[in-house]
Amino acid sequence: MPRPEERVGILGWGAYIPRFRVKAEEIARLWGFEPSVTKALWIEEKAVAAPDEDAVTMGWYAAKSAIKRAGIDPSLIGCAFVGTESKPYAVKPSATIIADALNISKVKLSTDMEFACRAGSEGLRLATSLVASGTIKYGLAIGSDTAQANPGDILELTAASGAAAYVVGPSEEAVASFEGMVTYITDTPDFWRRDCSKYPMHGEGFTGEPAYFHHIMTAVKLLMEELGLKPSDFDYAVFHQPNGKFPLKVGKRLGFTKDKILPGIVTPWIGNTYNASALLGLAKVLDSAKPGSRILVAPFGSGAGSDAYSIVVKDRIEEKRGLAPKVEDMLRRKKYIDYATYAKSRHMILRNV
Amino acid sequence: MQKVYVTAAAMTKVGRHFNLGFKELAYEVVERVIEESGGEAPDYLIVSSTLAALQCHQLDVSTIVAQALGLSGRRRIPSIRVETGESSGAAAVEIAVAMVRSGMAKKVLVVGFEKMTEYPSAKVNADYSKILDYELEVMRNVTPPNYAAMIMKDYMRRYGVSREDLTSWPVRMHENASRNPLAQLPFKISKDAVLKAQVISEPITLLDSFPLGDGAAALMIAGGDFIPPGSEGVEVLTTCSSTSTPLYLRDELASLPATASLRKVADAVLPSGWRKDAAVQVHDSYSIYGVLALEALGFAEPGQGYRVVEELEYLNPGGGLKARGHPIGATPIYGMCELYALMMEGFAGLSFSGSYGLVHSMSGPDYNSRLIILKR
Repeated sequence: MPRPEERVGILGWGAYIPRFRVKAEEIARLWGFEPSVTKALWIEEKAVAAPDEDAVTMGWYAAKSAIKRAGIDPSLIGCAFVGTESKPYAVKPSATIIADALNISKVKLSTDMEFACRAGSEGLRLATSLVASGTIKYGLAIGSDTAQANPGDILELTAASGAAAYVVGPSEEAVASFEGMVTYITDTPDFWRRDCSKYPMHGEGFTGEPAYFHHIMTAVKLLMEELGLKPSDFDYAVFHQPNGKFPLKVGKRLGFTKDKILPGIVTPWIGNTYNASALLGLAKVLDSAKPGSRILVAPFGSGAGSDAYSIVVKDRIEEKRGLAPKVEDMLRRKKYIDYATYAKSRHMILRNV
Repeated sequence: MQKVYVTAAAMTKVGRHFNLGFKELAYEVVERVIEESGGEAPDYLIVSSTLAALQCHQLDVSTIVAQALGLSGRRRIPSIRVETGESSGAAAVEIAVAMVRSGMAKKVLVVGFEKMTEYPSAKVNADYSKILDYELEVMRNVTPPNYAAMIMKDYMRRYGVSREDLTSWPVRMHENASRNPLAQLPFKISKDAVLKAQVISEPITLLDSFPLGDGAAALMIAGGDFIPPGSEGVEVLTTCSSTSTPLYLRDELASLPATASLRKVADAVLPSGWRKDAAVQVHDSYSIYGVLALEALGFAEPGQGYRVVEELEYLNPGGGLKARGHPIGATPIYGMCELYALMMEGFAGLSFSGSYGLVHSMSGPDYNSRLIILKR
């Protein structure tokens, strides 16, 4: 029996990376980290959203590009999901703002989702399921974050801003089709933010083996087992990227060669964009992958869970690439700022207004 | 007076045991020690943990451990918890030996544990600092590595020793640990890696200090009249301990006064030339302490300790606190277990032809110091 997700594919993809960058060594210098720590994590610089940008504006931009590439009438989109852990409103959906701004149908399902860094991916799975079931024809899933990190915490070297969006629909119209998708979730408290707490906390080493590595490896192995595939069957492998080192390490352990992982790496130059992290890596691969390529994508979210997707690129992709800015373009488009400007931009300086 | 023996020993791998609480860790080693003792239960339980109240939110851990391990029910085995900072495990052995020697108990089960990975390291390190005087030192932001750094600087200045010279300690410890499957850091490191590692408290780097890891270790301490002939194991000749003045009242920084005072006991109990015939465990929470302990115990002249680190064949055979790890309340019991294994059947790739074993432990900058002397 065919898997339901085989009826569904990606019609369009979009990305957004803010223009501003702060160098990791600047953050390390300010807080007295050893300079070598940036190399150990493989983080060079991170993208910083401007003072007037947030998860909604960035998500809107990425979604606009995705719809443009999909080439469909937005009023036919039947769901809009936003995965974020930095929503501008504690209560009031970001998804409705973005959907209305894009003229997406008012007869739709729409919500913000929270699952640390993988809520955007859960949105993608749900949108795919709605299409597969025939409930809707097209769906929109967005991952967008202006990630916060406690000033002086090791995570401040990487926590960054960015967004990615995907329009899914019938496989016949797709530029890349789903072969299979699985999810593996447990209660693993590796990273969290309590109500009214300004910044997330994390369990240091506990975020590694029992969280990131265990969940991604379990999900990816399960996917390969279900589909009867092995690492050498994939042309690309994209993982969640809390830093530059982890995706290389988890990929190596799973048996993927480095040349299959590197094309989907974005974090060393823009930081960890949380809900956009793996989805931006996938967008970068879609910007250049040849038709027929098979892509593994494995987002991860603390708390903790991992999805694993197998995606096959189709011929139609070539004509779509030029319709919106590519990830590479946005990686190159940058302006360096110092720590003070970054702190001001991310509203980390307290003042009375 | 009873002769006293270690008749069984067990330890877990030191590391991040995220799935094991302190009861599970204790159970693992206690089960093995009781099994090794022919299934016979002890008549007293002594539990050592330094941070249980702060990391596990648990008071009266000896009763809780006895209950969890099924020692409290029909058998109603009495228990006591011992805490003397980093030397807690050696204090537990000291009391066990005294109880057995005096006839107060026939067989005492000593178990040490520590959970070091329950909280972010900032809290663990803050709690660890409380081995110092909270009102006079901790409240003024003095931490154990700060003191070790002051002592190391004074040592380097006084004896003209370079920072690089003192890398001999961690390099040797990691080499030893690379042969110990239970070590937390079982890999070799280079001198260069020590020098280039993150500075913890100048001149101490990350690779001069111990890693945070969970662990548990247990021993059965029994009286000579209560064990079958031929199963004596390793004899405990004596135990001794001492306290010393706070660092800020000392005239000299680059020495360990409490440890030095215990040297007399070893020299009195053991035949002359014993150092060539002994395996030794010294407390090396920071590289400089390992070197100073060797000097205090007479293995080297003052200012020369770093030179003998490579020569001593049976020195911290499991890798010391530096590389085997330092699950604090269990650490001296690990030291005992490793020497017991070495003397009984060989350990970490070493076979031992000598007769004696010394386990040294101390808390902070030698605020208290303890020595356990073994003979096979």
